[in-house]
Amino acid sequence: MEILQIAVITLVKILIVVTLMLLTVSYLVYFERKISAWAQNRVGPNRVGPAGLLQPFADVFKLLLKEDIVPFAATKSIHTLAPMLALFVAFTTYAVIPIGPSVEIFGYKVDLVVADVNMGILYILALTSVGVYAITFSGWSSGSKYSLLGGVRSSAQMISYEISMGFSIAGVLLFAESLRPVAIVNAQSGLMWNAFVQPIGFITFVVAAFAETNRLPFDLPEAEPELVGGYHTEYSSMKFAGFFLAEYANMIIASAMIITLYLGGWQVPYIEKLGLPDYAVVLIQVTAFFVKMGVLLFFIIWVRWSLPRFRYDQLMDLGWKVMFPLSLLNLIWVAILIMIMN
Amino acid sequence: MNLYDIIFYLFAIITIVSATFVVFTKNIVYAAYNLLLTLFGIAGLYVLLGADFIGIVQLIIYVGGILILILFGVMLTNKITDVPIKSGVLQVIPASIGVGMLAGILILIVTNISWRNMELTVPESTIGSLGMLLMNEYILIFELLGMLLLIALIGAANIARK
Amino acid sequence: MTFTVHDLISLSPVLLIGVGILATLIIEMLVKESEKILGWFTFVLLLSVAYLSLILLDHTALVFEDKFLTGGRVNIFFFLFSFGAAVVSLLSMEYIKKAGIHFGEYYIMLLSSVLGMMLISGATDFIMIFIGLEQMSVCFYVLAGFNRRNERSLEAALKYFLLGSFATGFLVFGLGLIYGAVGSLSITEIVIGYETLKTSPLFLTGTLLFIIGFSFKIAAVPFHMWVPDVYQGAPTSVTALMSTTGKAAAFSALIIIFSPIIQAAYPSFFTPVISVLAVLSMLYGSIVAISQNDLKRMLAYSSIAHAGYMLIGLAAWNEKGVSGVIFYLVAYTFMNLAAFGLISLIEKRDLRGTEFSDYKGLGFKQPVLAGLMALTMFALSGIPPFAGFFGKYYVFLSAIEAGMTWLAIVGVISSVISVYFYLRLIVVMYFDNSDEIVMVTPSTSAMLGIMISVLLIIIMGVAPGSIINLINSTF
Repeated sequence: MEILQIAVITLVKILIVVTLMLLTVSYLVYFERKISAWAQNRVGPNRVGPAGLLQPFADVFKLLLKEDIVPFAATKSIHTLAPMLALFVAFTTYAVIPIGPSVEIFGYKVDLVVADVNMGILYILALTSVGVYAITFSGWSSGSKYSLLGGVRSSAQMISYEISMGFSIAGVLLFAESLRPVAIVNAQSGLMWNAFVQPIGFITFVVAAFAETNRLPFDLPEAEPELVGGYHTEYSSMKFAGFFLAEYANMIIASAMIITLYLGGWQVPYIEKLGLPDYAVVLIQVTAFFVKMGVLLFFIIWVRWSLPRFRYDQLMDLGWKVMFPLSLLNLIWVAILIMIMN
Repeated sequence: MNLYDIIFYLFAIITIVSATFVVFTKNIVYAAYNLLLTLFGIAGLYVLLGADFIGIVQLIIYVGGILILILFGVMLTNKITDVPIKSGVLQVIPASIGVGMLAGILILIVTNISWRNMELTVPESTIGSLGMLLMNEYILIFELLGMLLLIALIGAANIARK
Repeated sequence: MTFTVHDLISLSPVLLIGVGILATLIIEMLVKESEKILGWFTFVLLLSVAYLSLILLDHTALVFEDKFLTGGRVNIFFFLFSFGAAVVSLLSMEYIKKAGIHFGEYYIMLLSSVLGMMLISGATDFIMIFIGLEQMSVCFYVLAGFNRRNERSLEAALKYFLLGSFATGFLVFGLGLIYGAVGSLSITEIVIGYETLKTSPLFLTGTLLFIIGFSFKIAAVPFHMWVPDVYQGAPTSVTALMSTTGKAAAFSALIIIFSPIIQAAYPSFFTPVISVLAVLSMLYGSIVAISQNDLKRMLAYSSIAHAGYMLIGLAAWNEKGVSGVIFYLVAYTFMNLAAFGLISLIEKRDLRGTEFSDYKGLGFKQPVLAGLMALTMFALSGIPPFAGFFGKYYVFLSAIEAGMTWLAIVGVISSVISVYFYLRLIVVMYFDNSDEIVMVTPSTSAMLGIMISVLLIIIMGVAPGSIINLINSTF
């Protein structure tokens, strides 16, 4: 293929993914509010549009029109940079996650992933570690104690859980013998989903993913009773919206990661035995990916409205004394499995 | 000048300019932030050289780990940014002689050596062969690094003891 | 990669100490008040490692894809490190109680530093040297600052850490250049390609930077600035370890790199550099030591001077010089261990009492300790028939044989100067009087350590020939 073709196809893919992300994120907020209402026996947003369906757009307009307040003690450039960085990380991470197999569209062979990178998983990990900076920057540059504490807490939490996350991922990589997300998905054909093969790793990864996205029960960085709003206390208007979007985008990435690494990605077990035409198989597979994602997102929101928050020392204890040994155990388990299988 | 060169010089400029900032800025937080850019630039150079694994690991370890710790240190130290850095000029003459000599020698060497040139090829993934090397030829060193990290950990815990 | 039984047996000293470190960790974690048993545990472990190294002297093996060598000279170093550290663990037991740093981690660090030293001396690859050196240095940084509540100790740790990292920078830079020139970091490759490499500016600069990096570690002038403060500030038992086996390990790295080149009878391009370092270290160390009032500082400067004497052996660039250096290292290790052991006994609870004035009249109040100290000082100053004399003798002889008589003469002059400050202590102990001296009842373990060291000093002085023959036989 020529460079131009590759460029055009990639650009189209990026456009589709970003649009999808933005739409999903705004409706994710809507669903979060609806589900929380369901959990608390309330109605939830129901005024804007039928069943409140246009509520996300109303929210965006509201945030756009608000005054942008920058605290006097803030370091302006970095204060502005932080939400941008958060969004940048959130959106670029999605580039390596495959939502379907290769398909032929208009005679071109197109992979349903923006970039099929060799180092895909490491790329995600690297971006996650850059994501810590968005929070650290915002915490420090706001010139407020609450923000600073939130930022510090968040970075400490993310670094601690990155360890068990990394070790859980190592188990997956050992099986797939590759760092390419596409190869990892391909390795989970049939019922060889990593969630079944290495359940401990699955659990540690999911917990670590909760912690990495700062969701309840690990949302100490923005624990309202203690820290007002945490690292984004001093943000308003679209800058706040940036953080807000990034947070929900991170949820989507976390669930996409869980699906890719542990739930077979876009694979549907034994679909090839049904004898369906190719396009139908691809369609079912892509749909399956989104269904899995929907279920996971519901689960994440459900957990938020069901579990209380950890105390900070409990959080660290859990991370270092439970999750870390468990993920090591998982690694040993995988090693034994591989030894038996060979 | 082809695309490759342009990208190379872009990364090189990022690295050098931000590194200069790190050295000359008086605000220690800005120094740390600029170090971030320096490390990014270096990671880019690694990837450009075909060492994709090293590039990414550079990001994960230096940007994601070490620099964050530096930032922690800076942020949690009260008012560190307001304190003027008292690195006055001490021993200018011996220092300049030493640095000048080292720089002179290095420049002479770099310009006079006939460097081995490699063909410019699309690099393959390096991670597989790296893994094989680490697990075979360098297994002892790999394990010993683990030991070294363990010792450093114990040492750090001991220093932080109440 | 396959292992034979022979390989495993030859590796057993290293394996044993590796297992020992982990065992110490586990004991420390599981057993209450583990500090009490860990001291003796460490001692026994190190002693058995030393024993293993000696009986496996002719078990030469190249293991781990030619990355690690054991047997022969390497085992002599193994013995030196583990036996030296065993003596240090004896000296430490009561001392760290006195200093209020009685924690199990102390012994873990001690053992790990010995592992690092062993890795350096068995390396056949620059990466191994580097990792061993880092392992040793990290342990020393921590140990130097082990007494967290003492400002001097903290200062020592920080200074050591900063300058040590700086030196590591030189080292890594040098390794980079060497790698660029050779295309490999294996020492055998370097020896093979030496004919072409010796004109390569890349290789020469790399090696120069490498030597500079190690000059920091062996404390040669002008890279000695950290030595007095670190030796003074660190807990005395730690100083004993750093100044003896630590220095020996750094020297072993230089020896394993240079001795294959020497054996292949290649001419030296480093002799001028090493000679300059040697002359500066000897004279500077000896002269500045005169004006010191603190015993630990005085010994620090004397250790700089001793590094200079040992560098003569390397500058001579012949096999006699190398075995002379090894002999000197062994002698120096036990002389300094005895000296620091005695200091740690006389030191007070608040870690003061290391000044010359604190030793006034010690000869009358503590005749045994003072006698041992006097003997050690005689040995250090190179007065026969103790080990120090023969160390200097072999090293100077090698220089004369290499046609560098001037270097030997500088060495002799510097030795004469150094007699002044060693004997000054003896004068203070026997000819001054003071009522302030506190009676100390030396603990059995520490006395055992000191007695072992002194005994070795005497044996090496009485029968140096058999020991130098043993060292020579391992070439």
